Amino acid sequence: MQSESEEVSFEQIAIAVGIILLALVPLAGRHMTHLVASALLLSLAATSFNLLFGYTGLLSFGHALFWGVGGYTLAVMMSRFGLGYVESFVMAVIMSAVFGAVIGFLCVRHTRIYFAILTLAFGQMFYGVAVKWDFLGGSDGIYGLPRPFNTLELYYYVILAITLASLFILYKITRSSLGLSFMAVRDNAFRAKFIGLDVSRVRLTSFIISSIFSGVAGALYVLLETAISPETMLWTHSAEFVFVTLLGGPRVFLGPLVGGFIYSFLADVAMSATEYWLLVIGVVLVAIVLFFPHGVLGYFLKWREKR
Amino acid sequence: MDPGLILVQTFNGLVYSSILFLVSSGLTLIYGIMRVLNLAHGSLYMVGAYLGITVVLYLMSGTPLGYLLAFLAVPPLTGLLGAALERGLIRRTYEMGEEYQLLLTFGLILIFDDLVKMIWGPAYINFPDPNAFLGGFRFGEYKIPVYHILLIALGFSVFLVLWAFFSKTFTGKVMRAAAQDSEVVEAMGVDVSKIFVYSFFLGSLLSGLGGISAGPLYTASPGMGTDIIVYSFAVIVIGGMGSVPGALAGSLIVGVFRSLAIAFYPQMEIVVVFVIMALVLLVKPTGLFGAPEFERR
Repeated sequence: MQSESEEVSFEQIAIAVGIILLALVPLAGRHMTHLVASALLLSLAATSFNLLFGYTGLLSFGHALFWGVGGYTLAVMMSRFGLGYVESFVMAVIMSAVFGAVIGFLCVRHTRIYFAILTLAFGQMFYGVAVKWDFLGGSDGIYGLPRPFNTLELYYYVILAITLASLFILYKITRSSLGLSFMAVRDNAFRAKFIGLDVSRVRLTSFIISSIFSGVAGALYVLLETAISPETMLWTHSAEFVFVTLLGGPRVFLGPLVGGFIYSFLADVAMSATEYWLLVIGVVLVAIVLFFPHGVLGYFLKWREKR
Repeated sequence: MDPGLILVQTFNGLVYSSILFLVSSGLTLIYGIMRVLNLAHGSLYMVGAYLGITVVLYLMSGTPLGYLLAFLAVPPLTGLLGAALERGLIRRTYEMGEEYQLLLTFGLILIFDDLVKMIWGPAYINFPDPNAFLGGFRFGEYKIPVYHILLIALGFSVFLVLWAFFSKTFTGKVMRAAAQDSEVVEAMGVDVSKIFVYSFFLGSLLSGLGGISAGPLYTASPGMGTDIIVYSFAVIVIGGMGSVPGALAGSLIVGVFRSLAIAFYPQMEIVVVFVIMALVLLVKPTGLFGAPEFERR
């Protein structure tokens, strides 16, 4: 028993090494910094998506909507209302929560494919709003926003810090009694009802938390690109979150993070190799579903258990 | 508002409804029978349009006979393609969660979109105008092309044929029974896996028919499959997932309202569809013609 608390586990070493490597990324040049920053944000969005999917059992196919809500709120607050970074960011978080509450309320009454299709439809609806509404910049979106500190490298550390903090909060949530109630609802909503859980409320809570952190990722991404376009809300972007999560492994907390990095690097290589890079992604996707449905991290953990 | 414009836009809306119905009836019948939501259903619509342009323009250089040939030959081809996808790929996901089904069929969309770009190029391709030989009527200051009238007629005839098929023929009745409870149907000696292939064939045939019908109206383009599939989702949610009459009602509502929005409030074109959907969901969560959803444990 004594040794258990003192011994450093494999996971702790891996996470420490990972954080050190992430901190050193700006040394590897601008392209790599930008790539890793995008990978971090995609991973954060996928992890928050997975709170709803892997932990609560609800497959959202419209989660890019909240990425877009966070992003557009930040962009609008800065460019139309002249607010500063921090105020705009706080507004982005609040708006993500509000959108999450309203859309979640309409969607959590359904489950399974119905839930997936509803979230997808709401995502498309707001894509439609963004494309047609001049206030949001129409199909061009909003661009030319100033990046904090003016340098990519310093902003990278902002992204890294907020992403790690968000992941930590999400991890704590999955380990709390709230997280346990998510899993109870996922595993058997019928029984969860019998032990006194308000199933819809649990689902809605998960939905809102999940939207908030997707919004955080979207807001940070806007300043990385210094622009936002309506395409970020398209269902193809939502599908990216799903893909990344299944790639890494939905039943492991860090699965979406691993998937997010593999996907970002794979897409980066494929994009520079061929204009048909989506074809490559599509083939990988089909292969994963057919041959590796537990995700990279899922298989890795299984393999380690066996040894 | 000009009443003539309202009439003409309603008519144009019905044309779009007709195409929406062809696509979404296929989507909803596959879902109803198999509980499979094929995201790549729109890709078969796109393939239908591209095969159509190949026959009409490249093989028959725009003659009326080319159109006839395309309408006869293309839908069965997309039907076979759909059946092959079911046999080769989608079938393997039935034992997994539906998230894997959605993801696999999403992967197929990416593959089809890029394959179409590789084969036919990324540019939009215009069909030769079928009204060049079909002609049109004058309605005040507006022109009503015969092709549009034929499309509306096609949509309604397909609805009648589907209705007759599901209520009068043996195969249709078995398919309906499989939709209710595939295990019991299997226990009665029906090969359910065959029923599944038939549904995919029929559903994909309808989607391809939608594609070849839509081609002359909107050109063939690599993104057309994802455009139509999203509207089809709205249609089947409004009508009730799995219901063919629901798909008809949903198509009429979405087609006409979208068309009126384009004429009078163009910025609402996309939004109006999903607002209607949200309203229907609030009032009747299972859609207009949907059976109550039950949660499997």
